[in-house]
Amino acid sequence: MTGEEILKDIKERFKDDIIDFFDKTPRRVYIEIKPESIVKVAGYIFKKLGARFNITTGLDTRHHMELLYHFTFEDINLIISLRVKLKKDKLEINSLTSLFAGANWIEREIYEMLGINFKGHPDLRRLLLSDDWPEGVYPLRCDYKEWDKKAIRDRGV
Amino acid sequence: MIYIFYLFVYGFLLTAAIGLFASWFDRKVTARVQYRVGPPLFQPLFDIIKLLGKETLVPSGSSKITFLIAPVIGLASLIFVSTLLWLNALNPARTFLGDLIVVLYLLTIPSISIIIGGFASKNPLASLGSSREMKLILSYELPFVLALLVPVIKSNSIRLGEILNFQAQNGVVAGSLSGFLALAVGIICMQAKLALVPFDIPEAETEITSGPLIEYSGSALALYRLMKNMLLFTLPFFLIIIFMGGIRFVGIHLLYAFLKYIGLVALVTVIRNTNPRLRIDQAVRFFWGPMTIIAAVAVTLALLGK
Amino acid sequence: MSMKLKALLKSPWVFHLSTGSCNNCDIEVLDCLTPRFDIERFGMLLAGSIKHADVLLITGSCNRQSVIRLKRLYEQIPRPCLVVAIGECSLSRGMFIHSYNCPQPLDKIIPVDVYIPGCPPKPEAIIAGVVKLIEKVKRDKGKK
Repeated sequence: MTGEEILKDIKERFKDDIIDFFDKTPRRVYIEIKPESIVKVAGYIFKKLGARFNITTGLDTRHHMELLYHFTFEDINLIISLRVKLKKDKLEINSLTSLFAGANWIEREIYEMLGINFKGHPDLRRLLLSDDWPEGVYPLRCDYKEWDKKAIRDRGV
Repeated sequence: MIYIFYLFVYGFLLTAAIGLFASWFDRKVTARVQYRVGPPLFQPLFDIIKLLGKETLVPSGSSKITFLIAPVIGLASLIFVSTLLWLNALNPARTFLGDLIVVLYLLTIPSISIIIGGFASKNPLASLGSSREMKLILSYELPFVLALLVPVIKSNSIRLGEILNFQAQNGVVAGSLSGFLALAVGIICMQAKLALVPFDIPEAETEITSGPLIEYSGSALALYRLMKNMLLFTLPFFLIIIFMGGIRFVGIHLLYAFLKYIGLVALVTVIRNTNPRLRIDQAVRFFWGPMTIIAAVAVTLALLGK
Repeated sequence: MSMKLKALLKSPWVFHLSTGSCNNCDIEVLDCLTPRFDIERFGMLLAGSIKHADVLLITGSCNRQSVIRLKRLYEQIPRPCLVVAIGECSLSRGMFIHSYNCPQPLDKIIPVDVYIPGCPPKPEAIIAGVVKLIEKVKRDKGKK
């Protein structure tokens, strides 16, 4: 299938899940969907259309938090990113590990850096931070404050 | 008390001096082959003096006495072997029945002391290196002993002095076909005994970070390095006595002796620089396969009189 | 003491330790062993195990996980030993000074003898730093 056919197919099938459709270039498309329907759409793109799950990106903006799931179709040079916007007081989303195991570690990393809870993840614990890092402090958030009393942050000059 | 003099001067001082020089020669030739400048002349000596000045750390939980005694045992047996070889080379009438077997037996003790030291330090990487060294010893001892049978058959006796006398009258053993094959097998087994590439499996730097010696520091490591450097003299010397007619200190034979020894060390260096490192199963297959066959062929040729 | 240090300066064995660097400084340190900037002529060899080492070459800004290991390794190196900090990240954490994972610079954790700046420092700079280290040790020994 070519690129346009894939995009038309997705637009028709998930008409009431898609909030916004932004094609920056014909090869790089951002589709914004509702948070509840991520498993449905991602499952369709991965299983039926045969895309490759690349990575997930997490952002912390002023008004909401975003998650971008990047899927690539290598033979036709198309990258589809599914954008999900989460409100800051309700940071939960369904996990994608039931569909493919490649989402396991990236969801653990987003959990420990941004504090988003992935429901249904088999083993949601810390991946990269050190053992003496306190719970509940998420370093990549906008409002992260220094908690370490012994840290030295000036060069001394 | 003349024996203490022999042990100290011949066994220790002369062997250490020539061994350190050979180690420098090896490093300098390696550097030149790789198009760089090598270390200065007294570098191996500075290494050992520096190691004597560092503190010796013994890992807790290891058997302390075994850990510290292992290098001493290796060095002591090496001093005995060197003394025996020097005395036989200088005066072949001093030989006694079975001294070839004593030399062969004592020459395995330095490798065994590395194995003991590796197992005595409480470290899994050290045990891995030691077990590989054990497998290597099992594999190269067989063709080595077979190759040593050739001069014994040719000179019809098992004493070192009589082998030397036979070579003085009838020409060196390496001149005949069987002797030449046995010498080739002997050189490759010597490369494995010295734990140099392509057979430095037990001490693979950066693979198992120097194997059995990983926990050694300070004076114990200095003794091990001295033992390895002295082994670089003792083993070629043994091969020269058995296969190439020994050394004599009169006239032109002094030059021949120097050339024989430096030739063997240069051969070891060249093999070291032009080969990659083998895996342990490849090395065992190599020694029990082609090497044993060549050694057996050499023994049959010697029995047939060639 | 002076005899020990004199022997140490004649054959310093280096151990290379990276506490979370981008690996550029590590590549430059490895360049020093190549034939163009040969450091074996000074007697330096790359030691495989920490117990054989005299000089610790440290690169990288120390993040929280590697500080634990760094302290453990510093306890295991046999004395007398020298510590060299290579690259901007180990001098003062460079551009990672406000990062959440690098609380303290290297010289607040272990004592450092020589600093070699650069991002990454050229191999000539590393060799010049090592020469300065040798001169500094000789000067201090004379003072004592």
